[in-house]
Amino acid sequence: MHILLRGRDIKNIDQLDVYEKHDGFVGLKASLAMTPAEVIDQVKASGLRGRGGAGFPTGVKWSFIPQHEPVKFVAVNADESETGTFKDREIMEANPYQLIEGSLICAYAIQAKAIYIYLRGEFWDIGDQLDECIERLRAKGYVGENILGSGYDCEIYTHLGAGAYICGEESAMLNSLEGYLGQPRVRPPFPAQKGGGLYKEATVVNNVETLTNVPFIMREGADAFKAIGTEQSAGNKIYCVSGHVKRPGNYELPMSTTFRELLYDHAGGPLHDDRPFKAMLPSGGSGPIVPLTDEVLDTRMSYEDCADIDTIIGSASIIVMDETVDMTWVASKVTKFFEHESCGKCTPCREGTYWLDKVIDRILDGRGTPEDVKRIADVAENMQGTTLCALGDFAANPIIHTIRRFPDDFAQHVQGEAAAGD
Amino acid sequence: MSDTVTINIDGNEYQVAAGSNLVDAAKWHAGNDIPVFCYHPKMEPVGMCRMCLVELGTPARDRATGEVMRNEDGTPQIRYFPKLQTACTTIVSDGMHIKTNTQEVIDARNDVLEFLLTSHPLDCPICDKGGECPLQNLTMRHGPQASRMYFDDKLHLKKHYPLGDLIFLDQERCIQCARCIRFQDEIVGDDVLAFHERGRRLQIITDSDPGFDSYFSGNTTDICPVGALTTADFRFGARPWELTEVPSISPWDAAGENISLSMRLDRDFGGKALIKRVMPRQNEWVNEIWISDKTRFGHHFTRSDERLQKPQARSGAHLQASTWSEILPKLAGVLQAANGDIAAIAGSSVANEDLWELRQLVEGLGGSRLGSWMPTHGGADQVARAGVGLGTNLGELGKGDAILVIACDLEEEVPLWRLRLKNAQDRGAYLVVANARHTRLEDFATQGARNDKVVAGDAIRYASGDAAAVMHSLGDAHPDIAKRLRDAENLVIVTGAEGLSLDESGALAKAAANFLIETNHVGRPNNGLLVALPGANGMGQHYLGFTPKATLDIIANPPKVLIVAQAEPLDDDPAASSWLSQIETVIYANLFDDGSAALADFVLPIQSFAERDGSFVNGERRVQRFYTAQGPVGDALPAWKLFGNIAQPAGLGRVKPSAAAVMLEISQHVNAFDGMRYKALGKVERQFPDVGGRDQYYGGTAYNNTGGLGLQIPATADRGKKLNPLKMKTPEAMQAAEGEVLVMPITRLYNRQRNFRPSLLIEPRIVEPFAIVNSEDAANLGIIQGDLLEISAGESQVRLRADVSDDIAVGAVAVPRHLTDAPIPMCATVGAINKRAEAVASGD
Amino acid sequence: MAIIGNPKYQERIQHHLAKYETKRSAVMPLLYIAQEEYGWVNPEGIGEVAQILDLDPTQVKSIAGFYTMYSEKPKGKFWLHVCTDLPCALKGADDFYAWLKDELGVDDGGTSADGLFTVEHVMCLAACDKAPMLQCNFRYVEDLDQDKMRDLLAKWREEAAQPVSG
Ligand SMILES: Cc1cc2nc3c(=O)[nH]c(=O)nc-3n(C[C@H](O)[C@H](O)[C@H](O)COP(=O)(O)O)c2cc1C
Ligand code: SF4
Ligand code: FES
Repeated sequence: MHILLRGRDIKNIDQLDVYEKHDGFVGLKASLAMTPAEVIDQVKASGLRGRGGAGFPTGVKWSFIPQHEPVKFVAVNADESETGTFKDREIMEANPYQLIEGSLICAYAIQAKAIYIYLRGEFWDIGDQLDECIERLRAKGYVGENILGSGYDCEIYTHLGAGAYICGEESAMLNSLEGYLGQPRVRPPFPAQKGGGLYKEATVVNNVETLTNVPFIMREGADAFKAIGTEQSAGNKIYCVSGHVKRPGNYELPMSTTFRELLYDHAGGPLHDDRPFKAMLPSGGSGPIVPLTDEVLDTRMSYEDCADIDTIIGSASIIVMDETVDMTWVASKVTKFFEHESCGKCTPCREGTYWLDKVIDRILDGRGTPEDVKRIADVAENMQGTTLCALGDFAANPIIHTIRRFPDDFAQHVQGEAAAGD
Repeated sequence: MSDTVTINIDGNEYQVAAGSNLVDAAKWHAGNDIPVFCYHPKMEPVGMCRMCLVELGTPARDRATGEVMRNEDGTPQIRYFPKLQTACTTIVSDGMHIKTNTQEVIDARNDVLEFLLTSHPLDCPICDKGGECPLQNLTMRHGPQASRMYFDDKLHLKKHYPLGDLIFLDQERCIQCARCIRFQDEIVGDDVLAFHERGRRLQIITDSDPGFDSYFSGNTTDICPVGALTTADFRFGARPWELTEVPSISPWDAAGENISLSMRLDRDFGGKALIKRVMPRQNEWVNEIWISDKTRFGHHFTRSDERLQKPQARSGAHLQASTWSEILPKLAGVLQAANGDIAAIAGSSVANEDLWELRQLVEGLGGSRLGSWMPTHGGADQVARAGVGLGTNLGELGKGDAILVIACDLEEEVPLWRLRLKNAQDRGAYLVVANARHTRLEDFATQGARNDKVVAGDAIRYASGDAAAVMHSLGDAHPDIAKRLRDAENLVIVTGAEGLSLDESGALAKAAANFLIETNHVGRPNNGLLVALPGANGMGQHYLGFTPKATLDIIANPPKVLIVAQAEPLDDDPAASSWLSQIETVIYANLFDDGSAALADFVLPIQSFAERDGSFVNGERRVQRFYTAQGPVGDALPAWKLFGNIAQPAGLGRVKPSAAAVMLEISQHVNAFDGMRYKALGKVERQFPDVGGRDQYYGGTAYNNTGGLGLQIPATADRGKKLNPLKMKTPEAMQAAEGEVLVMPITRLYNRQRNFRPSLLIEPRIVEPFAIVNSEDAANLGIIQGDLLEISAGESQVRLRADVSDDIAVGAVAVPRHLTDAPIPMCATVGAINKRAEAVASGD
Repeated sequence: MAIIGNPKYQERIQHHLAKYETKRSAVMPLLYIAQEEYGWVNPEGIGEVAQILDLDPTQVKSIAGFYTMYSEKPKGKFWLHVCTDLPCALKGADDFYAWLKDELGVDDGGTSADGLFTVEHVMCLAACDKAPMLQCNFRYVEDLDQDKMRDLLAKWREEAAQPVSG
């Protein structure tokens, strides 16, 4: 059963009347009948964790918002720019009202004045579509003043980014919304605190997928949600599968599903039957790469299980590579991504991404030495844990983990003419 | 005590001020220099360079009870953050522990430096900052020994990228700390610098027109922690270690900015010391660590080839070069023969020592009239009564306080006050700007402080000439504003003379003093009056008895002999030649000849502020010393010595041996200067923030103040005397009749004044002569933007371009002083505008 | 040409100004309008956006330079953003892009001789299951191969040859 990708089960659920017919806004109405604190409690009880990458408990985040502050905001993170991620796009294209409903519930729970949906610039047509949805909803009293007669007012706006991965980072996103450079902010104050959020007001930032879960939780109850997935990872998750599989795409599955089930049963196994899987990046470019061993394949795709295999599930953008792929090349590709996307604010990230990119190109070209491999591993280590936001850590991951987990792939490039010449 | 907290740094405990920044606290209390690049104690932390990483821990608390958890021995358990934290973004809290000397911290510093150096060109040997560069210093202390980056991999960027006429950027050296951007935004309020692109391609740009052109741009070169920003003035001029820093005081305006003259013996200057650059010197009470660009770049007059070199005496139609030994007895003779019909006029930047000796000379010979030039601004007497209280620091004004600026254009007249008052507004002070026209400061008052949606300010516009009346009856006409001013915890009022006669500006200051007295805002620090007097020593003139009234009297009733000291009447006053020519003997002592020499009988070269010792009294009544820096030009003498040299043969006592001796005498005879001997003026104390020390994290070596912080003269209100408001009648405002206008002289910071012209670098920034005409008046007169106008008022007749605007009162025309060659009226004067046909292109 | 006073944009500009708490927030949507009007974010556009928002042009330029979807130089009628990021590259995007550049006779970031096509490689566009792919003037074109691309280029060339209708 799809909770999120309901467009696959119900035709035209992107139409308001169809959405309404299929339990649309039942969750919102239920919420409006409760106090904001009760809504937060229910979301807390569901065990829902943020789907943007960090997996922070959603209800807990909402509860950080100081109730007495007169002005609060919700910012919906629809920047979806992690390499290999394309789930929020499908939600918004095929099931937009559910995202909006979830956002409104969140806004009500924290008594926000307005919701801003920050879309990556390339999603401008989705932005137009959402704008139309919002107008339709306004006409029916779901948006604007006195929502459904509850006395609660809330506006919804869309905002387009313009090509910057860093704007997915929540504080950079808020800067971008305010018309400043999309560079992360010093924390504390955190977005949920006065001084740290949008226009310095307390703000909840949640991912599209996170909020799209909320109507279900408010409609079916926290327990119904908690019953899915694992102890610490409740609910369904959309896994974006790309790379060397037969059927790339989004798969919405419980968080207790194994990689094996996803990659073989759903995604159809290796793209070429004669080329077995070699490795995967389970969280786009930013998480540690893992070899696709049996142990890994049998791991459940939950926050806690992925920690056991020294990686993260993050946004669950699973990039699969078969045995023909050279991990040095992968490291170079991903490094180029971060070199291109570093905002330039913190020294280690700005300089480190540039430096790594130069040296890895050298290695890939056959001009590198074993010393260079050690050096970039060390440079990457030096970047870790030293920056304002996690991009610096993300950028170090591909180097550190490809070198650590696929040393032979590097060795082959730096062993001089003989090996390179074959 | 609740306003301090205890923190532990590397095992030692320190009591530090609650709410302080960890970097500052560690430096101030523990002498622990946590290295920084992006952090600057004058600006908000941004945490971007990552140089200041430390191990940080706080007392662990039990989640349930909130109680601090304790070790067996009763000491609190300290929970350290898993990652290193940036000290610069950390506010101290009680029980906080930091470690700055662990291997992890040492490695992190080394790593950040390595990252920074990967892109750095390492061209220290040819860099202006070499020798006083934070990057260089920190690399020596914490950095890697050798680069692990392939040289070929370095990014190559522009090395000489002009951001404006004055500042150049070396893109390769820039370490993207954003100090320059933040200075322009936070401190100046002119956000004309920004980053462009991102990642490693992040670069400083300006896209404003004109480019980087704020009146404070030079400060960015001081706070730039590398040699990325350099001034067009000093670029490649010298190496910092060849320079000797001599403490001095800006000779330009009432702020009294403390400066360092960076001196070097120079072949081009006969082997004598000349000024290679002017740097700010820290004085938190006066200018903090900032100076205006005029102060920084306007120093070239001190060694200009046009300086007067030799004493000259008139023989018939000509002035003849002479020698001091020949000319001094002659002068004494002429003066004695005047039978006491002697008077003097001294310019507004003449030092106290000179004024004193001049006064001794005039009074010794039976004269009594001592005039101050220009006779435009009244109100010095009110500053002496109700001026800002002892201990005032404009840098402390903030929330709950208020500022009123009336009838002046601070940005152009005393730029540093405008900077500090705007910063006060940013800290929450309520700022009111009242004038007959728009000024830059008004924008801040109406558009609000930075990042603040609540506008902490108001603007008042009045008909030209109404300033005193507006001030006098503020409560009636603007009750809300008056109430906020009255209720403010601290209140500072700044008055000027824009659009006013001498009487009117005096009345304005009186009305302002009355308001301050009535609302109990005098006799306390950070309360009281400031007057934007012209020049560096307007208050010194007042205390030493030189008044504008006396000048007007001298003009009206010319004496037999007049001594003009460092004033340029012909440049300033359209009527000057007519009254000067009625005087039998004019003795003209100055640095330059403004044309007055043609009317003078003796022309005597005197030294600039840079060549001699002396002192000025700034607008806050702070007496500040400056020191001999530059080698002398020609036969010029310090003015005090010149006057002493004339007095001695006239039988008025011996020439004093030094400026210090003159000051000693002043301190014994003039109450205001009680105790103000040079030694006392030269005292320094440790100042917060600690900049310019050995570590130089925050900029150059020149900040270091070795010259003294000066001493403030107590105002009457400070002497424990209760002041009463003075009875006053607001003078009848000047009225322009039908077809006439009120010509209102205004000041431009960059102008064609004699002393400023030799600084060629700024010449392109001097605007074409213009006159601001109200659009209604313009419509009536058929004038459009850019029309050539002829404005006549009194004996003045000038031609300039029309700047038609709604930003000025109807019936007023603002005309900047010293942009045209011909002088404009000194004070507001009734006159007329005529539109002129454009001169037909010449070809005939 | 101008944005200010151009009736075409008034409503949108007002809409964006009304959306946010500060004028400055509207800088990104307004830069898109400038790009639409002038084909790229040119100095005139920056000046106008600055004027509308009461900002210093430097601030507007800074924003335009930070984001890759604003072009600070003139570009072709069709702006092709080809994803060559890892997931697409695993499905042959690098070769596809090399072929496309060849086909158009341009380098990365260049504009074809006829002025029609500007090509650029970009990072992940959230279409990894439909690789190779690109955005043409920010419209998704997915599941590409050389044949499809040739047809598209022909179609776009034809489109460009059509007289512009009101
Ligand atoms: C460099 C960087 C990029 C990120 N990009 C995204 C993104 O594209 N979408 C997203 O939802 N979260 C992204 N995040 C995570 C957000 O910062 C934030 O944690 C998230 O939006 C919170 O929402 P959630 O709690 O619902 O997951 C990114 C974080 C970092 C450090
Ligand atoms: S120019 Fe200097 S002050 Fe400005 S960002 Fe670069 S290093 Fe910092
Ligand atoms: S990050 Fe603290 S000084 Fe730069």
